[in-house]
Amino acid sequence: MTRPLVLTLGEPAGIGPELTLKAWLGREASGLPPFAVAAGREQLEKVARKLGLAVPFSKVEPEDAQAAFATSLPVLAGSPEIDVEPGKPSPATASVTIGSIDRAVELVRQGRASAVVTNPIAKSVLYQAGFRHPGHTEYLAALSARFWGGAEPRAVMMLWSETLAVVPVTIHVPLRSVPELLTTELIVDTARITDRDMRERFGLAKPRLALSGLNPHAGEGGALGTEDDAVVRPAVEILQAEGVDAVGPLPADTMFHARARANYDVALCMYHDQALIPIKALAFDEGVNVTLGLPFIRTSPDHGTAFDIAGQGVARPDSLIAALKLAGRLTETTES
Amino acid sequence: MSATLATPRPTIAFAMGDPAGISPELAAKLLALSEVRESADIVVFGDRRILDEGARVAGVDPAIETVDEAQLAASPRGRSVFVDLENLAVEDVTPKEATLAGGQFATGNFRKALQLAAAGRADAVFFTPFNKKAMRLAYPNYDDEIRFINDVLGRSGPASEFNVLGQLWNARVTSHIPLSGVAAAITREAILRSLTLADRAMRDAGFQRPRIAVAGLNPHAGDDGNFGREEIDVIEPAVAEAASRGIVCEGPFPSDTVFLRAKAGVFDAVLTMYHDQGQIAMKLMGFDRGVTLLGGFPFPICTPAHGTAYDIAGQGIANIGASREAILLAARMGREARMRAAA
Repeated sequence: MTRPLVLTLGEPAGIGPELTLKAWLGREASGLPPFAVAAGREQLEKVARKLGLAVPFSKVEPEDAQAAFATSLPVLAGSPEIDVEPGKPSPATASVTIGSIDRAVELVRQGRASAVVTNPIAKSVLYQAGFRHPGHTEYLAALSARFWGGAEPRAVMMLWSETLAVVPVTIHVPLRSVPELLTTELIVDTARITDRDMRERFGLAKPRLALSGLNPHAGEGGALGTEDDAVVRPAVEILQAEGVDAVGPLPADTMFHARARANYDVALCMYHDQALIPIKALAFDEGVNVTLGLPFIRTSPDHGTAFDIAGQGVARPDSLIAALKLAGRLTETTES
Repeated sequence: MSATLATPRPTIAFAMGDPAGISPELAAKLLALSEVRESADIVVFGDRRILDEGARVAGVDPAIETVDEAQLAASPRGRSVFVDLENLAVEDVTPKEATLAGGQFATGNFRKALQLAAAGRADAVFFTPFNKKAMRLAYPNYDDEIRFINDVLGRSGPASEFNVLGQLWNARVTSHIPLSGVAAAITREAILRSLTLADRAMRDAGFQRPRIAVAGLNPHAGDDGNFGREEIDVIEPAVAEAASRGIVCEGPFPSDTVFLRAKAGVFDAVLTMYHDQGQIAMKLMGFDRGVTLLGGFPFPICTPAHGTAYDIAGQGIANIGASREAILLAARMGREARMRAAA
């Protein structure tokens, strides 16, 4: 028996339910590993009806998901039912959205599911209901501590595609704060987690890390900023001394074309858009968000809830499909 | 009105760049392209020996008449000539190295080309790549091309560098400054100035109504103020002000998707806030085709976006694509300028 992936509900008024249905319908064409949705069936059924999608459901325990997956979309028994209009989110559903995440992580902890794939959530909706975590990833780190014990792990966000993988060292912070937040320690810490998970989860014997410079032309010897020599370069030297295959700081504008990409497996970028601009340009629909540093595998599509198009049937499931496939692949590598 | 009457033939002042890299081969290859020769009359400044060496390496024959400066001064517009300044012998070139001699050659050629255009005898300037270190050896005040041009022309008005990839333009508010200085440099005035310059330069290049997308500064364009307030406090008001002055612009947009929208044809240009925000996207979309335009001067100045490529110099394998795009843009803008002057 293969344990299924478990897919969370996400924001039920967003495009998550629609993408879930479309991903299942494309299971054979995309070669998807079996997954079960940690959600009730009624909301999914309502969206399927609205969009005219013929999706049969089965209410299962995780152990039965694989057998059911070929002919029906497995939803986990015991999940609470909700009813919400696409595009019209309600804080009343927040506890169910959060409960779905909790259940997914718990099932992985219990060994009943192999990995967590999350649908997008809307933080603003959850905040109205009293959710206090900065974001999805931070919440998963908190759940890791809850279910595995010990200190909360440092979660590292990686955006992965077949053409490029990037890790932003600083993420959702104002650009003006980046230089002060960027420390040698933070870079080294991020790179160590990346290196370890690239080995253990992605199966690379010796992952090649390329670190970008913070400043234009990686500072051009100090003429365009001191941080590249004072902060980034020492991090690269520490990593190299530990045996990590790391190079940098590289000028960010010349490290992403095909010839340059052939020299590394993952690029560590110093701030959000330095990482997001190239991956969106190279893999707009196929980018997957992978969380490194957690005691379990977690992937998600790299887009949001898209309330503006929810329920219209136009949302593309490419990124969710890529996330499900990658979770399956990482599971195989990790468990082999 | 026939096409020939409607489209006057422009003259391009062409400066040979750094002699130690691919510039001589590029110059020879360009001058051998009929498409380039048909687009404009070209007045090249350099040393004939360096051009001939470039032609030998590239395996081309850039048939062009050689004159000296006195002959140039005495001759009318209307033909392509090579003005031999006799300013560098082949044996004085140190291949693949930035040298004082190389910098003196490039700055000398560039100065003459700028002066020809400033005198009204050329409509646009083009140069093959410079090496910044060599330029500094020859001209210690050399910060960048803009500073040098201002010095030669004796002016100090606003000017800016634009990157051009086919029909897509990238203008920037800040460029070669440390990232830590970017946020403070993003002011309403700076954005307005950049939008005004971009609008002007694009109209000069033939856009009737250039549509400019303005990038945000912060992740997700600040996410309604959650990741920074510059979008709300600075960029939005600047865009509104520019729009009220008749510039077709929108934004701020998240910078990780704004180029995709522009590339899809929704906009003609993206105004970026800092160097890598524009350069990462532009280089990914066309590493070998990018053109740099220096705008805001009395005449357009174009060059390929890439550098001197010391690593592949002398092999004859340098890609001509970006240089070709750059000189054709110079020709197009020069023609527009002549048409405006005639109107």
